[in-house]
Amino acid sequence: MKQNKLSYKIEQYLIFAGPGTILFLAVVIVPFIYGLYLTLTSWDGVSATKTFVGLQNFAAAFSDADYWKAMLRTVIYSVFAVVLINIMSFALAFLVTRGIKGQNFFRSGFFVPNLIGGIVLGYVWKFVFNRAFVAIFGGSSLLASTEGAMFCLIIVSVWQYAGYMMLIYVAGFMSVSKDVEEASRIDGCTSAQAMRNVTIPLMRSSFVQCIFLSITRCFVVYDVNLSLTKGDPFNTSVMAAMHVYNQAFTYKNYGLGQSEAVILFAVCAIVGVTQVLIGKRGEVEA
Amino acid sequence: MKKRVLAILLALVLVLGLAACSGGGNSGDGGSSSGGKKVAITIFNSKMEIQSQMEEMAKKYSEEKGVDLEVYYSSDTVAAHLSTRYASNDPYTISMVDAKDVYSLAADHAVDLSDQDWVKDTTQAIAIDGKTYGFPVCVEARGIIYNADAIKKATGADFDPTSIKKTADLQAIAEKCGTGVMKEDWSLAAHYLAEVYEQQSDPDAFIKGIKDGSIKLADDAKFNALMDTFDVLKANNYAKDAAISAEREVTEQKLAEGEIGLMFGGNWDWSVINAYQYSENMGIMPVPNDVDDGSSDKLVGGGSKYFFIDSSENTSDEQRQAAKDFLNWLVYDEAGQDFIVNQCALVPAYSNITLAVKDPLGASVKKYADAGALIPNYNYLPDDHYAKCGAIFQKYLANEIDRAQFAAEITEYWSTAEVGAH
Repeated sequence: MKQNKLSYKIEQYLIFAGPGTILFLAVVIVPFIYGLYLTLTSWDGVSATKTFVGLQNFAAAFSDADYWKAMLRTVIYSVFAVVLINIMSFALAFLVTRGIKGQNFFRSGFFVPNLIGGIVLGYVWKFVFNRAFVAIFGGSSLLASTEGAMFCLIIVSVWQYAGYMMLIYVAGFMSVSKDVEEASRIDGCTSAQAMRNVTIPLMRSSFVQCIFLSITRCFVVYDVNLSLTKGDPFNTSVMAAMHVYNQAFTYKNYGLGQSEAVILFAVCAIVGVTQVLIGKRGEVEA
Repeated sequence: MKKRVLAILLALVLVLGLAACSGGGNSGDGGSSSGGKKVAITIFNSKMEIQSQMEEMAKKYSEEKGVDLEVYYSSDTVAAHLSTRYASNDPYTISMVDAKDVYSLAADHAVDLSDQDWVKDTTQAIAIDGKTYGFPVCVEARGIIYNADAIKKATGADFDPTSIKKTADLQAIAEKCGTGVMKEDWSLAAHYLAEVYEQQSDPDAFIKGIKDGSIKLADDAKFNALMDTFDVLKANNYAKDAAISAEREVTEQKLAEGEIGLMFGGNWDWSVINAYQYSENMGIMPVPNDVDDGSSDKLVGGGSKYFFIDSSENTSDEQRQAAKDFLNWLVYDEAGQDFIVNQCALVPAYSNITLAVKDPLGASVKKYADAGALIPNYNYLPDDHYAKCGAIFQKYLANEIDRAQFAAEITEYWSTAEVGAH
């Protein structure tokens, strides 16, 4: 059997990657293309006919003020959430790789929020903000004001993702060889300098990964948004993904919602890929 | 060795998973082709509170009638859920939808039911272009829910709901017994604000007037009268300081247990009130307002939730016949009537059903319905009306805008919105 024959290669590919490829095509690529087709129709989601309207939906999407307000909100939310998630998770990772007592316990403890689904998490925190905090501190619920609701969303997201990102940073810390750090200490670095000049540059790939993951997740946040605020108060905490869902399913403008989803996808992809490209450029090999 | 066993197990699980998927598809096909002995029909239920009753009824009905009846429920938006079923060519035989969905779905998906017996026994069926498509499941109406015991305790006098004719009458008792105010967008916009349109002599013309500017909402007598009443509710709200984060369940509990005496809502609120230590003397009364057009004697409401039968080729004629038989069973069979009125505690939409409604809110609604004192629902509001106008109404509730701004923003909404075809 020749191993470099085309038929052999195809056979091997089909055996190992075939099922995956088929599934990927079936659940990602085909729906995506079909979705693109739907952006060109004025379908309402239920009628039997899909009228072709060209690029009208995109024109409508660009003039949909509520959508762009939701998008701006998403960007603001993402900026705060991404920065806080990464600071928190880096700090946690730092703490649980110092060999403190019970660090495995802490690692799993910080990771637990990530195991709770976003919907459940939202309801739990809604209770905390609306009832527990009000009972303890008095005053009105944070969720009742526009800024407060955004603040709550950010807090909950940080709480949810910090543990997950922490794991990646922990792996990053572990991958930095102790030798280089010790060498820098012998050369006279303080521990802060060693961290800044040796450990962090060597962990750059962890940062790239974590920031990419947190950006992409924050941009398409939906579950926490739905269960924690549902857009309240006054629809001022509606994020882009929720607006897309409402537009497509609740307001029955499927084509318009779909084209807004495509725009959201494009924005998210551009931001994510740019960030990875910039991050990768300065990566160093130990 | 161990790894190998594990790998085989894993592979088996995956294969089983696939088999299960395809199996589901097969049985679906079997149902729709119905070559066998039993006709299988499916019902989509969108009324969460009666799901367990529906399932029980389906089991009994299947045994007695030799029809295989299955009930499904989804918490998704009705239209969104049905669209996925249509997209996969696997529609329900009977779907329960909201009135507005009948208008958007019937033309493509529903069977003409005009020849059915029950059409003459109800005033709530939905007909489009002279063809009846929607079978009303029940009657629901909106108004102010009162707890007479709580009011009596607060005022010291027996409470007579028919004595409340003007906003000032309401104010007199609201100040003593306290109120609960909804903050949900659907309750504010789809139920309360909608009354401003519904109580006009011609809602279509009124909305058209707002759209073309010939009617100024801010100067409209009905709008101002209803907002005056709303202000009374708002001023006596037990959660006045945090109106926007008051949860409906909590408000309903307080009403049930008599901490507050009044709340705007409808007979569907009973499913929650029911769960608490409620007072027996509760009921629904009209929203009083100072426009003298008799609206202070009428609830607003009508048919709520409609069944329609699928018209696509995925449903066979036998299934459609079985579905029609089922609808007739609900209206004309004692067991069917018992199911609607006693099991589900719904208010029947059919004049031939004379069973007494058990829950006090439903009993109020039945009383008004039987007396013909229901102002019909306006079922053609745009799909985004409740969300967008609800957000504006929430701002008013939170004192972020005043009434003039409120009217201006609602007018602004209508400048681009279009009412549904009807």
